[in-house]
Amino acid sequence: MAAGALFRWALLPSPKHLAPPLLRTPRSPLTFARIEAFSSSTSTTNSTTNYLRLTDEELMAQCDMDTFKASGPGGQHRNKRESAVRLKHRPTGIVAQAAEDRSQHKNRASAVARLRKLLALEVRKAIDLNDYTPPTELLQILPAKSTIRGSDVGPQIGPNNPKFAPGMQALLDLIYAVEGSVSEAAKILGLSTGALSRLILSDDSLRMSVNDLRTSKGMRPLK
Amino acid sequence: MILRLPFTIRSTSLLHRRQIRSPSASAVSSSPTTTHSSFPPRPRPQTPLFLRPPAHSAARADLDAFRRWAKSIAITAAPRIAANGGPDADHLLRELSWLVQDATSRPEAAGEVRLRVGLEELYRLWRERIEERKPFQYVVGCEHWRDLVLAVREGVLIPRPETEMLVDMVARVEGFEEGLWADLGTGSGAIAVGIGRLLGEGGKVFATDLSPDAVEVARLNVERYGLKDKVEIRQGSWFEPLQDVKGKLAGLVSNPPYIPNSHISGLQAEVGWHEPRLALDGGKDGTDYLLHLCEGCASALKPGGFFAFETNGDKQSEFIADFMSTMWGNFFENVKIVSDFAGIKRFVTGFHR
Repeated sequence: MAAGALFRWALLPSPKHLAPPLLRTPRSPLTFARIEAFSSSTSTTNSTTNYLRLTDEELMAQCDMDTFKASGPGGQHRNKRESAVRLKHRPTGIVAQAAEDRSQHKNRASAVARLRKLLALEVRKAIDLNDYTPPTELLQILPAKSTIRGSDVGPQIGPNNPKFAPGMQALLDLIYAVEGSVSEAAKILGLSTGALSRLILSDDSLRMSVNDLRTSKGMRPLK
Repeated sequence: MILRLPFTIRSTSLLHRRQIRSPSASAVSSSPTTTHSSFPPRPRPQTPLFLRPPAHSAARADLDAFRRWAKSIAITAAPRIAANGGPDADHLLRELSWLVQDATSRPEAAGEVRLRVGLEELYRLWRERIEERKPFQYVVGCEHWRDLVLAVREGVLIPRPETEMLVDMVARVEGFEEGLWADLGTGSGAIAVGIGRLLGEGGKVFATDLSPDAVEVARLNVERYGLKDKVEIRQGSWFEPLQDVKGKLAGLVSNPPYIPNSHISGLQAEVGWHEPRLALDGGKDGTDYLLHLCEGCASALKPGGFFAFETNGDKQSEFIADFMSTMWGNFFENVKIVSDFAGIKRFVTGFHR
């Protein structure tokens, strides 16, 4: 799903029964603290790194569809055209929802795609920079001119590809580890600062996440 | 509120009479043939709105006026409708935008909107929705279900979101693509079309229904999705039209009528007043047809064949699962209860030994 669509959608007034809002902000100090606490525990670190590797079905199994919890007997009893879907990911508390389609099936698929993106944006893994090798998912979203990207990695994966989310997650892990310094992250990834900036700017949600971090560290946002 | 309309929609006395009929009286008399006997005769609903040619047009300002009027009567009626188990104002306004979506055609000329029904008809459709509590899906003649847009109309049960899962369950059965399947009481043909689209070269779905309305609508949906080779609609009661494939079925699915008789009168108006009782009423405990399906499964399925039934939920699922694994334990194994997305124990599945 295009990040542009995600944010456009987020700007629409949400129906009352779908509150709370779609996007939890990954940039509040509270959330940041939660994420740090989260990744310091080895048992959960292991599972957090794996959320994006789960199939849609496995991911759904970790979610509550709580919009429907209070809606009575359901099935043949009801005609409310309740196609809106709200997923709450139990392990992280992240909420993703979709209501724009008339089919619940399609809204479920959109909500899961959004959940993947939000997991990538919000769930951080601590990195030891002294012993760091960028994972394959990250290499796959880098432009071909990266000096650490072998030819066996395949073509560059763009922001509209569902496989972009795991790469974005790994990139954010690295950028958090270097405390928002794009030039330092670029060095590690074998790219010029300009090339990495362009990659970050190519996706709205990635750009916002990096800029929120930079702002919190007193750095200028990327434009 | 005073509503100024450029024309008379329909005599209001008739609408009032409809409203004050109690749901129970209405439900008792509602069968596909009698529900509309109190309305002026009009052509049978045929083509779903979104499939009709854009043969009408209206000034954009007039369509905007329709929208304002429709919104105001929806908001005024919403508390009463919601109190009776119907949709709230947000739902109704979403339906209104879908109605306009289905009724209009792009691209539009400046100031002119191309419509698939006359503006006058659009007013009438929305009145039916709000004042007669006609289900939105019957108003527009379609329901979006999984990735399909299915034709529906009076006399045919509107497929529910819960039922979408039945198709996923079938798709998880090993080798399902090449098997013979049956969808009993197919209604609009939703499940059969959903399965039919996933089948391979050798696979086929037989879909049965007693109701001629259902058979007609199911055929239309099968044709629209180009599945005439994959889905065969047969008219008849449950297993009756399937004698030639007895013992050969790789799987059997059904969303039979399962609402206990005593609950029918208390149903939400959209359901109880308008949907076919034939597709809802499951007898005293709601299990009449489910039990018939359990019994028929024993001889219809081939060894290793799969079954999945939708139920009224929780207790009914437990009862059916228990029945299948004790009373019919010699025939079936691996009997399971599967919950729907709301956490209600909605389905019973299992395999023929």
